[in-house]
Amino acid sequence: MPIPEAIYGLFSDPSSAERGMDALSRAGIRPDRIVVMSAEPFDGYSFSKMDEATPMPWLAAVGGIVGGTCGFLLARLTQEAYPFPLITGGMPLLAPWPTGIVTYELTMLGAVLTTIVTLLITTRLPNWKPKLYDPEVSNGKILIGVLEPSDATRTEIGSRLLGAGAEQIKTTFGDVPS
Amino acid sequence: MAHQWGMAIDLDRCNGCEACVVACHAENNISTVGEEQAALSRAKHWIRVERYYEGEFPDVRVKFMPVLCQQCDAAPCEPVCPTFASYHTSEGLNGQVYNRCIGTRYCANACPYVVRYFNFYNPVWDKPLQLQLNPDVSVREEGVMEKCTFCVQRIKAREIEAAAEKRELRDGEVQPACVQSCPTRAMVFGDLSDPESEVSQLARSSRATKLLGELGTRPKVNYLPRDSWHDSENA
Amino acid sequence: MTAKTPEQITRDLLRPLSGVSPRYMFWAALLAGVAVAALCAFLYQVYTGLGVSGLRTPVFWGFYITNFVFWIGLSHAGTLISAILRLANATWRRPVTRCAEVITVFALSIGAAFPIIHLGRPWLAFFLFPYPSERGIWPNIRSPLLWDFFAINTYLISSVTFLLLPMVPDFALVRDRAAGWKKKIYGAVALGWTGTPRQWHRLETAMHIMAIAVIPVAVSVHSIVSWDFAMAPVPMWHSTIFAPYFVAGAIFSGIAALILAMALLRKLLHLEEYLLPIHFENLGKLLLVMSLLWFYFVFAERLTAWYGNEPSEMAVFWVTQHGSYAPLFWTMVFCNFLIPFPILAIKKLRTITGTAIASFLVVVGMWLERFLIIVPSLSHKYLPYKWGTYRPTWVEITITAGTFCTMVLLYMIFSKIVPIISVWELKAGQHEEPHALRLATQPDQVEAD
Repeated sequence: MPIPEAIYGLFSDPSSAERGMDALSRAGIRPDRIVVMSAEPFDGYSFSKMDEATPMPWLAAVGGIVGGTCGFLLARLTQEAYPFPLITGGMPLLAPWPTGIVTYELTMLGAVLTTIVTLLITTRLPNWKPKLYDPEVSNGKILIGVLEPSDATRTEIGSRLLGAGAEQIKTTFGDVPS
Repeated sequence: MAHQWGMAIDLDRCNGCEACVVACHAENNISTVGEEQAALSRAKHWIRVERYYEGEFPDVRVKFMPVLCQQCDAAPCEPVCPTFASYHTSEGLNGQVYNRCIGTRYCANACPYVVRYFNFYNPVWDKPLQLQLNPDVSVREEGVMEKCTFCVQRIKAREIEAAAEKRELRDGEVQPACVQSCPTRAMVFGDLSDPESEVSQLARSSRATKLLGELGTRPKVNYLPRDSWHDSENA
Repeated sequence: MTAKTPEQITRDLLRPLSGVSPRYMFWAALLAGVAVAALCAFLYQVYTGLGVSGLRTPVFWGFYITNFVFWIGLSHAGTLISAILRLANATWRRPVTRCAEVITVFALSIGAAFPIIHLGRPWLAFFLFPYPSERGIWPNIRSPLLWDFFAINTYLISSVTFLLLPMVPDFALVRDRAAGWKKKIYGAVALGWTGTPRQWHRLETAMHIMAIAVIPVAVSVHSIVSWDFAMAPVPMWHSTIFAPYFVAGAIFSGIAALILAMALLRKLLHLEEYLLPIHFENLGKLLLVMSLLWFYFVFAERLTAWYGNEPSEMAVFWVTQHGSYAPLFWTMVFCNFLIPFPILAIKKLRTITGTAIASFLVVVGMWLERFLIIVPSLSHKYLPYKWGTYRPTWVEITITAGTFCTMVLLYMIFSKIVPIISVWELKAGQHEEPHALRLATQPDQVEAD
């Protein structure tokens, strides 16, 4: 999949980035066409208020329950699965305390693994294919742009972003429209 | 009902000759570790005779106590073994399965009687002593725990014979090497689940005590100390 | 600290990645040499038998299990700092979190190696893994060693994740500045990170969940390690205090290791403007609290034993306090409490050097504490006829030294390939609060498609 067409501005601080975001909203750009990238999380700023909802905690809880069930079954079934019961120390064959410990550990493991998997899936990582990105983001710039802008609006978007305080306007498809 | 093997040791009869120790080594393929290793407290004596001295010369009193695996019914060595190498058999013995042992030595730490021994090296028999090895007992390699088994190979052999002859085992028919070799007949071995066996009768004696019984291990070896042991505490 | 621009931060924190000095190579070679010697000693032990160690009847556990408990304990550094301080929103934690998480991962890996090193037949260590074996047998879940297996593996996976996840944005940072094969490698481990709000939100949510999950796991890990001892009827082992005592001791040694690591990093990587005296102040205060807590636990345990006057316990009690182990015991008390307490309590002494000295002493003292829990008890069990001694051999000493050198070496290597201070977290702590901005209520013009 080739790099999508996009036009974006690079902002050097979060306040101007907020203005840029505001400018794009006023221009009527649909939110799912707006792309933002930054080198650090800007929680609380308007331009990072997207894609916040996630079922990750619930999934982690479910993963914990699944893990705990696996642990419980592992602890109980394996102790009964012998050709003959192996008694140790006069303790019962199905001992509640050790079963509890193993169940607990695998609950936590289930929650952790589910969190990792959910993270990778919802962020769609790893994704090593060529994609929209600008190394200036690593230098601290905040990238705010529009995916697949129509020909008519390109110049408009560029000037709005500049007006909001973008240091640079770039595109992925050719010259920057003046 | 399945046999529940137990032992009674009359400390009044024990004279500390240690024939039991030697017999055990011979029967169970236990190697001697050599002088240097023995000085490092690595000798493997599945049964040992503990010696306690009391008093000043010329009124010295010596107490002998043969200590071997007590085959505890609530053995602390069993639940701690991660691979079930130490487990309780249906005949009341604490079984040690060498093939399962990976040598964590947790069982040895948990045993309050210190009757479990570890093979720190591969066992060595100087020629021609290797010809004396008992084919009924495996030779343990380095890294494996071992301990007294109440000569389970003899128990099994007699049980198989009795089953082949379609009869019950007679009391006193099964004799571990230590019991067999004791010159003063201080040790008696038998079925604790048979109330008429000699070991059961001795276990019911008023002299019978259990070593470290207060720890709750429920050992199966009954010690019968001399009455005069109690006198010496009051003397 | 003067606020640094993001460019300055990036430059300072990525500088260590740009090459190695001759002095670095010298120390790395020396440490690697000791580590290799330790490996050789271990292989010699596997080939010849555990007889080459100092273990004997009745002291079947010695240096190896001391090291096992010590390193697992040390690994509680990362959990405390990262997870608890994250959840408590303590902002001063930001430069410190990755240093701590790295200690956890490496200390845990080293600690988890010791159950294998101390086995009589280590090639059969896989017997601990629950799988349907051809022998028709599963492991014994009643054994605390099995609980160790599950707990340590869970903690290891959690800690590695806790370390690796926030490293991804920093890998992207290095990727964007690198060239050639370095760019390829960092690009691969950066997983294609671009820094969209979606990615940041998910990452932070995941970190939050992990922080909540990893604290109970860490508590359970060291409780389970303590139960390796408490579940055996050995005098002074079979005590209910063991689980909280060990967890407190673990956090204690963890904070000390962290302070030491930070002090060294500060000096060697020239991070004076990032690892500030206030960090050492705050961690020093935490260390003081843990020192008091450690003393409280030891006092409570020994007081109870002394009042109980149970003969077997008193034998261990006296041999530790007045007998042959007394020199080690009192050294431990000095190192863990008597000297750190004034250093950490008096503000003038609670400097970077002061806390580093106190931390070093605590690390030594905690190693001694693990030793003194294991060996005096095992050498004085219930039957006096079988009391014994223990002396380590060159094999155990070499392996112990090797693990310390391996830890330092791993840390050195890590600090050269990953920024030791989390760049994005530091930057995120610095930008100004968002102010309310009038949001667009309706578009000025409809987008022509």
